[in-house]
Amino acid sequence: MRVTDDKKNQSKDFELNIASIIDCLTVLITFTLASASFLSIGILDAGVTAGGDMAKSDNLPEVFLTVDIKNNGFVEVTLHGKEKFLEKINPQNSKIDLGKLTLTLKNFKEKWKNVGSVTLLADAAITYQEVIMTMDEIRKTFSIVMLGGF
Amino acid sequence: MRAKFLKRGFTSEEMSLQITSMADVFIILLVFLLKSYASGIVQIQPSSGTHLPKAYALDASTEALKIEVSENSIQLEGAPVLPLKNFVFGPNDVLQNGVSQKLSAVFEKERKKQVYIAENNKDVSVDSKIILVADEKAPYQTIKTVLASAAIHGYTDFKLAVVKGD
Repeated sequence: MRVTDDKKNQSKDFELNIASIIDCLTVLITFTLASASFLSIGILDAGVTAGGDMAKSDNLPEVFLTVDIKNNGFVEVTLHGKEKFLEKINPQNSKIDLGKLTLTLKNFKEKWKNVGSVTLLADAAITYQEVIMTMDEIRKTFSIVMLGGF
Repeated sequence: MRAKFLKRGFTSEEMSLQITSMADVFIILLVFLLKSYASGIVQIQPSSGTHLPKAYALDASTEALKIEVSENSIQLEGAPVLPLKNFVFGPNDVLQNGVSQKLSAVFEKERKKQVYIAENNKDVSVDSKIILVADEKAPYQTIKTVLASAAIHGYTDFKLAVVKGD
């Protein structure tokens, strides 16, 4: 009878050895942290204005807009098609004046409501960062920005 | 006084680390890390030395052919396919229409592979998407050449990989 009591006591005293579990978790966390990338990568959509299928003539817009990044931060916003218009944006401290670009594009959008996309052009020496930065700024006004110039 | 001191000393000897709460913290950390690790559907890992430009963008949820433009090479799906010298293509490589002959050949081969797979597997279709992973310092001329070389082989739906800004 006493033996049975001892057995009961033994089973109540049983404890899980948590130290080994902690070891496993530490190794797992270290491994996950070492292999994880902390860069948050996103995707910008950029159709191309050349090289694709032929556009249907019925769907061609009456006017279309291009933004041309020139060297030293100059930008030309041009309206082509049925109506023609050109606006030159001067640089601010040798950099693209993004604020003025947005303002200009908003004015264009108010005047020509059927313009839905913008074609982005750039000089050969313009860096990819400047192209993306400008593209990002244009997307605040026009959701579709296509790369052009080839 | 002595009795009080002894009592305190005895208490500190009996104190043990609360390992259960520590295990809880570790489990929460692990679950959080694994969740964020698995949420990235597309694995875009720029090679060392390549700095992506920053922009507001959507999550990288598209699976497509990946081409990386770095200062010294162009890589397709992580394998170097063309050497560059300071982002510039080799002499006589770029044609008048802005297409790189060597890069065009690489895209042609890749396209043929895709078409062959699509012909033999009805679940697979030929895709026009391509993800461009380019260094922020790359001149637009180089980008244009890469895009033109891809576009003539049907890769016209360009996805530009960027680092998501705040």
